[in-house]
Amino acid sequence: MQDHYKRYSMDIEEVKQRAGPREFGPTDDMPEEYRKAATRMIQFHANSEIMGAYIERPFIRQAPSLDRKLAVSAQVQDEIGHGQLLYRAAENLGIKTREQMLDELANGEGKFLNCFHYPLDDWYELPMIMFFVDGAAMRRQATLKRTSWEPYAHAIDKICFEEGFHIKHGESILAELASGTRRDQQRLQEAFDKWWPRILQFFGPTDDQSTHSDFSSAVGLKTMGNDALRTAFLNVYLPKAEKYGLEIPETPAVTFNDDTNRYEVEEEDLDWDEFMQIARNQYPQGVGQIDKRHRTQEAVEWVRDAIENPGAGSAAAD
Amino acid sequence: MIFEVFRQEKRKDYHVHVGNVHAPNREMARMYAQVVHARRKPAHSLWVVPKEEIAEVDSDDEGVAMGGLTQKEYRWATNYNTDETFAEEIEASQREQEEAERGREEAAEGNG
Amino acid sequence: MSTQRLGAPGDLSEREREAVEALLYQLADDEFVVADRYTDWQCQGPTLEADIAIANIAQDELGHARLWYDLLEDFGYEESELIWERDAADFRHATLCEQSFESGDWADAVVRSYCYDVAEFLQLEALAETSYPRIADRIEKVQGEEHYHREHAQNWLERLCEDDDGTRRVQQAVDDLYPYALTLFEPTAKEADIVELGLRPTSLDQLRSEWYDITGAFLAGLGVSVPEESELDDLVAEQTGRDGDHTDDWQRQYNELTYTYRMLDRTEARRLMADPDEA
Repeated sequence: MQDHYKRYSMDIEEVKQRAGPREFGPTDDMPEEYRKAATRMIQFHANSEIMGAYIERPFIRQAPSLDRKLAVSAQVQDEIGHGQLLYRAAENLGIKTREQMLDELANGEGKFLNCFHYPLDDWYELPMIMFFVDGAAMRRQATLKRTSWEPYAHAIDKICFEEGFHIKHGESILAELASGTRRDQQRLQEAFDKWWPRILQFFGPTDDQSTHSDFSSAVGLKTMGNDALRTAFLNVYLPKAEKYGLEIPETPAVTFNDDTNRYEVEEEDLDWDEFMQIARNQYPQGVGQIDKRHRTQEAVEWVRDAIENPGAGSAAAD
Repeated sequence: MIFEVFRQEKRKDYHVHVGNVHAPNREMARMYAQVVHARRKPAHSLWVVPKEEIAEVDSDDEGVAMGGLTQKEYRWATNYNTDETFAEEIEASQREQEEAERGREEAAEGNG
Repeated sequence: MSTQRLGAPGDLSEREREAVEALLYQLADDEFVVADRYTDWQCQGPTLEADIAIANIAQDELGHARLWYDLLEDFGYEESELIWERDAADFRHATLCEQSFESGDWADAVVRSYCYDVAEFLQLEALAETSYPRIADRIEKVQGEEHYHREHAQNWLERLCEDDDGTRRVQQAVDDLYPYALTLFEPTAKEADIVELGLRPTSLDQLRSEWYDITGAFLAGLGVSVPEESELDDLVAEQTGRDGDHTDDWQRQYNELTYTYRMLDRTEARRLMADPDEA
């Protein structure tokens, strides 16, 4: 749609005033500040889909039954599909092309969710991502159906449509392990102990410490704060964890505050140095994941060259 | 040349195919589309696309099996009922999938 | 050749049953192992769209494997025995299926899938005449998903061969894979019975010759050369897989495939979908 006619250009104040669900689209001339903030947010989301797919990927081969293999393959496929949708929605903002965003991801500039910087060691850890982390992501995504950047909301519609199966399949794996042998239950608990603090950090630091939050909320990109999201998540997933016999670790402390009607997480019990190291893409295992992504992308560079600029004499690949 | 016209009724809606126009070029097609397809029906935006530029896949074409023919239930939330209750956003996703499944079934019956 | 329609699984003679089993293992193992290899490309495809497409093809082929393994269950086997607890050396897939991919070698992926899909297409056509009703009932569904696979491989070959470097890489992949592609037409121990009983009335030699004509002509049209037909017998890879003799790649793939099942001490494989007969 490069030839649309711009009717007016908007300043930030007007954006804030009009901000509402699906309010702005490609035919609106949005101020650069908005477009940059939206790009940052959607690119982060898209990167997270790709890197989330990356850590689940080994379990396509390692899945212990045919049907589970099909389901894991379909999940990883959906996540790449979500990346595809989201990069398109971000591209619409005119700040970066998909190519640029994928390059940034490969070279370590692209940011993505904390949980996807940690590798999954074995099948016991898989539901930590597929059930808890994806469940948390789904919680956040549901609130983004009301985001102000319409192409983002459209992508979210499709993502939410598909994603329900991911969490339910994750729960099915969790339930199978939870009803297994004592050893299964022990190993599951160990996985949970290891992942629980990371899951609590999924929604980021509390609202008053979050850096980009204010502007994104003011222009309607973000529709719910970190604390409210974490509470909404814990409301459903704490009882679920207990239902499957998982003991909630004592630290980090999670308590329900009757006055505010919210779960409160003892922030000091969480490792924010590690979180910030991750946010800078400097956590060693995360760096490993990013480097892998980089090598993968480089290895197929020749294919993109061949189909995008077919011709003679480009055979410099060796 | 034939141009296909997609109309968006109001802001935030999806563009929906509403018909086509004959026009000698893109500029004329844009003008005709407005009077042919947005004269009475409300329109916030029109997409005008050369018909020959539209690639089509038709489920009646030989060898086309969109969504597959073998069992793909593993892709659907409805296939997994580990518990009685789920987070509201999961339930919503499942309802949308149920609706899509019904649509697919109806389409299959319609074809058969 | 006049062949009789065979009976239900329980009514087969020992000879018939052994031949049916051999054919089904070959069909199921090919699909299962090649599909599992395709999944190597998930998150590694040259574009996001290509990634989604190869994943879909992998899932289709796994679905086909599921249908064929299910017919083996007619004889009392369970998925655990058919896949997860079976010895690596008891798998009967052609060694083409198990070859690992060099990182980024998308030419290998499309050449392999082209060779495989044309062979599968011909095999399914032959199986449409099968004397065994349980197989006959399932052919159409499988065939219906195969057009896309072939078209996908052909389109990619055409795209890559518009480019010099692409053509060179496709030629390299053809040269490397050809001996393994030929193993698709190598016999299992029961091949004579499979043809005589009309399970697959067309011989493997016949299928190979048709496959050679189709793939050779298509590749030649793209500027890619294949060996002379008279050379084929000498070119077949030493390990065919059809007798259980596999390359080292298979043992590695097998170890990884069965890793979780073994780690969890499983004795059965979890089903998430209805039995194909009830679906």
